[in-house]
Amino acid sequence: MRRLPWVIVLALFAGIGVGLVYAWMIAPLGNSNTDPSRLRADFKDQYRSAIAAAYAATGNLPRARVRIALLGDPDPLAALNAQAQRMLANGEMPQQIDQVAALARALEGETAATSLPVTEPADSIVVVSTATFPQPPSDGGFDLTETAVAPLTPFLGETQAPAASPTLRLTQTLAPTRGAPFTLVAQDEVCDANLPDGLLQIIVLNSNRRQIPGMEINVTWEGGEEPFFTGLKPELGNGYADFLMAPNISYTVQLAAGSEIASGLVAPTCQAENGEPYFGGFKLTFQQP
Amino acid sequence: MKSYRWVFILLALLAGTGLGLAYGWYVDPVDFFDLPPDSLRADYKADYVLMTAEAYRLEQDPGLAARRLAVFGSRSPSSIAANGLEYARANEYADSDIALIQELVTAMQAWSGILP
Repeated sequence: MRRLPWVIVLALFAGIGVGLVYAWMIAPLGNSNTDPSRLRADFKDQYRSAIAAAYAATGNLPRARVRIALLGDPDPLAALNAQAQRMLANGEMPQQIDQVAALARALEGETAATSLPVTEPADSIVVVSTATFPQPPSDGGFDLTETAVAPLTPFLGETQAPAASPTLRLTQTLAPTRGAPFTLVAQDEVCDANLPDGLLQIIVLNSNRRQIPGMEINVTWEGGEEPFFTGLKPELGNGYADFLMAPNISYTVQLAAGSEIASGLVAPTCQAENGEPYFGGFKLTFQQP
Repeated sequence: MKSYRWVFILLALLAGTGLGLAYGWYVDPVDFFDLPPDSLRADYKADYVLMTAEAYRLEQDPGLAARRLAVFGSRSPSSIAANGLEYARANEYADSDIALIQELVTAMQAWSGILP
């Protein structure tokens, strides 16, 4: 019986080790030809902004949805809403914030309007669209086709696992209600000694009673006006905004996107438990029909 | 016999290195995250250029379009847009999309080059 050539086996394992160190640490493959899901968080924000701007220009929601899916966010709506809030907090251009918020609303409206069957991770998305899409690239790149019912294959790279891709079917009746005016569904006086005096609280909801961030609100009074936005206090709700009213001044509130007007808002006089008077506030709720 | 032994050892070392490289590059490659946009595959880059072109058609703001394209690094916006156009043509994008990107390329070539 011949002896096992230990030296040769050792050389083989040493070679494997050298190869792995080179392939994993010195010259790894895969830092080019990547997909958008691997981008750094701030670049993902820019990618989302570009998707939202393109959607604002074309109104092509299926295409926007496919592009958003490329980013691999577990909850694309939450990602868009959070980005809108970050952009607000950073004082970015209102137009771009509006675009991101509008895309979130459109996707949310679509999600609510469709019974969206979420499938197991698949390598294709089916969209029903009349929009114009690029032809499929010949090298197996991701594909946004222009036929009425078209298979889309966003991830075809060898090293890329297919993302979870919901099957999306749209019909004309499922279009989101973009631009519909908001109605003032509730206007309540609030007497709460724990809140600041004259606090005007505003909540903006969409038609599904989900709070909407990034909505511009205009409050006006004799000799002044001030715009402010929902979503700046996410701990109180994405669609929440507030404003401090001065005593004995009448305020008018309206959403910039179009809504019923709440007028004649004067901070009410309330009474604390010890009998001392203080100024209360209002809570207004706007909802998209 | 001794010299043969060294040849076998060298061959084993080379074979092991090849196996290690194949495993590290193709079987279980390194997963990268937090990458810059310049690392995107060509079709994703072209789609980003198309998005910028779609937005530019509405906004007509070359400075904003250039800022969007600037995510791809130090190359000029016109060359980034031109690369997108080249890819779109080579891969038979829809004529309307090619026209959009062409419009963006023209705007970027005419743009003065000062980012807002």
